Amino acid sequence: MRIGLVCPYSFDVPGGVQYHVRDLAEVFIAQGHDVSVLAPSDEDTVLPDYVVSAGRTVPIRYNGSVARLNMGPVSAARVSRWLDEGDFDVLHLHEPITPSVSMLAMWAAQGPIVATFHTSNLRSRVMQAAYPIVRPSLEKITGRIAVSEDARRTVTTHVGGDAVVIPNGVFVDRFDLADPQPAWQGTAERPTVAFLGRMLEPRKGLPVLARALPGVLAEVPGLRVLVAGPGDADEVRADLTPEVAQVCEFLGAVSDEDKARLLRSVDAYVAPNTGGESFGIILIEAMSAGAPVLASDLPAFVRVLDDGRAGVTFRNEDPDDLARTLLGMLRDPVERATVAARGRRRADTFDWSVVAAGIMAVYETVTAGASIVHSNGDSAPRWARLLRGRSRS
Amino acid sequence: MTTLDVVAFVAVVLIALAWFLSYSAARLDRLHGRVEATYAALDAQLVRRAEATLELATSGLLDPASALVLASAAADSLAHADDSDEQERGAVESDVTESLAAVLTPEAVDDLRAGDGVPHDGLDRIKAAGTRVQLARRFHNDAVSDVRRVRRKGVVRLFRLAGRAELPQSIDFDDALPAPLRD
Repeated sequence: MRIGLVCPYSFDVPGGVQYHVRDLAEVFIAQGHDVSVLAPSDEDTVLPDYVVSAGRTVPIRYNGSVARLNMGPVSAARVSRWLDEGDFDVLHLHEPITPSVSMLAMWAAQGPIVATFHTSNLRSRVMQAAYPIVRPSLEKITGRIAVSEDARRTVTTHVGGDAVVIPNGVFVDRFDLADPQPAWQGTAERPTVAFLGRMLEPRKGLPVLARALPGVLAEVPGLRVLVAGPGDADEVRADLTPEVAQVCEFLGAVSDEDKARLLRSVDAYVAPNTGGESFGIILIEAMSAGAPVLASDLPAFVRVLDDGRAGVTFRNEDPDDLARTLLGMLRDPVERATVAARGRRRADTFDWSVVAAGIMAVYETVTAGASIVHSNGDSAPRWARLLRGRSRS
Repeated sequence: MTTLDVVAFVAVVLIALAWFLSYSAARLDRLHGRVEATYAALDAQLVRRAEATLELATSGLLDPASALVLASAAADSLAHADDSDEQERGAVESDVTESLAAVLTPEAVDDLRAGDGVPHDGLDRIKAAGTRVQLARRFHNDAVSDVRRVRRKGVVRLFRLAGRAELPQSIDFDDALPAPLRD
């Protein structure tokens, strides 16, 4: 199958949507499909050979945050050329309501179109402004996918209609088969827990963990907290009490490989995020690596953890509850192993093999209909065809 | 205002109106095309599901009562493949879903999986077709609601832009997979 994927965000910077598009493209290429990805990027960025650049991006404030987006007549021309040269059986747009190349492609394309909605925090005011502009283009989308129940609710309330939920994918094996790093492995006296994420961003929850630690250290003085993620360690350390700062080991930003090894090594993974998470892919990565997961009870996290069966949850922003549940986990190796085993099974449902099969089922459904109708000829009234004019070209 | 100005003004308004009507007609035309495509997709998947069901029924791997239940539901579905009555078709397809759920109990599925050859394949085909029926029905009903929304617009009704095209109906039936075939 010839598949055209469009990513609205620049491949120059890391991000969930970009990773999703990249992984999806690589899975389908490995299965023997013909895949081309259109995405913005700067001229000097080295791109994988299946990515076509839609031009460079400009930083723009949209929907409450600054994103690097791509627009204008030059980009629109590039999008049209890519569509014409690609000859795709199916066009798969990501985040079509973001003012970038996905929207341009949706505007220019005809034929079977699939769109994936990633965001769950689209602002109503933004959507009200966007609605009359994008409505006619949105009507071209045959198959809508949402990556989570929250993203699906965004579609049903702001766009109308419905969407099928197909989650983000994880290469479970990359985590499952990673080698543990002895320096990060815990012992009975000195158990290790991991925190991952931007340290200075409060919604990632490091402050919650810091306030929970004194209670935990009173019972388990040997605890080691491995903190991985971008941010200035000295700045973080300045905000911590000396006893807490002493047990935190700052690893800085880690490579994908080290992330897998870290999750494979530790006795527990803690996700104290306080909000703004629509999915929680890191939880699935931890489950894939066999780390027992302890996470705040954000709706997205609870769903990923299968209503709390595949991991342990604590009350969001409640350091006491975090301390209590973390202590319970650290004291009970059998419980840890049970939680880890349930998490490992849960992770399999998010493996790319399963997720890509679900997306392929969508492609097959929309292309089957399109090819059948094309062979029946155009059923439009003749006068409508005469009147069609430029809007159809 | 001179006569020329008035004529020019009226001409501009008429051209703008003509463009808007042509644009609206093209938009509606595209939407009707989408509904036809999604209906064809749903139809194809329903036929595929019925064929897979019939194949399992005639495989000789089921007891005769189960086989008969599946065969009659599948035959009904295939007979209604060209039925334009959405309600009738929905009822028939709900029957196929119910029959599959009644026959493919966890025990029956374990039995079939314990055998070899056709049964594996047959169950996989029913699952694949059933999943695609769910997708196709959802996509079709999305397309139907889009058409109906645009056809409610004043300009579409006033200028009869929909022509003689029928107002599409959503199709509702039970399309759940038999429990043992769910992930």
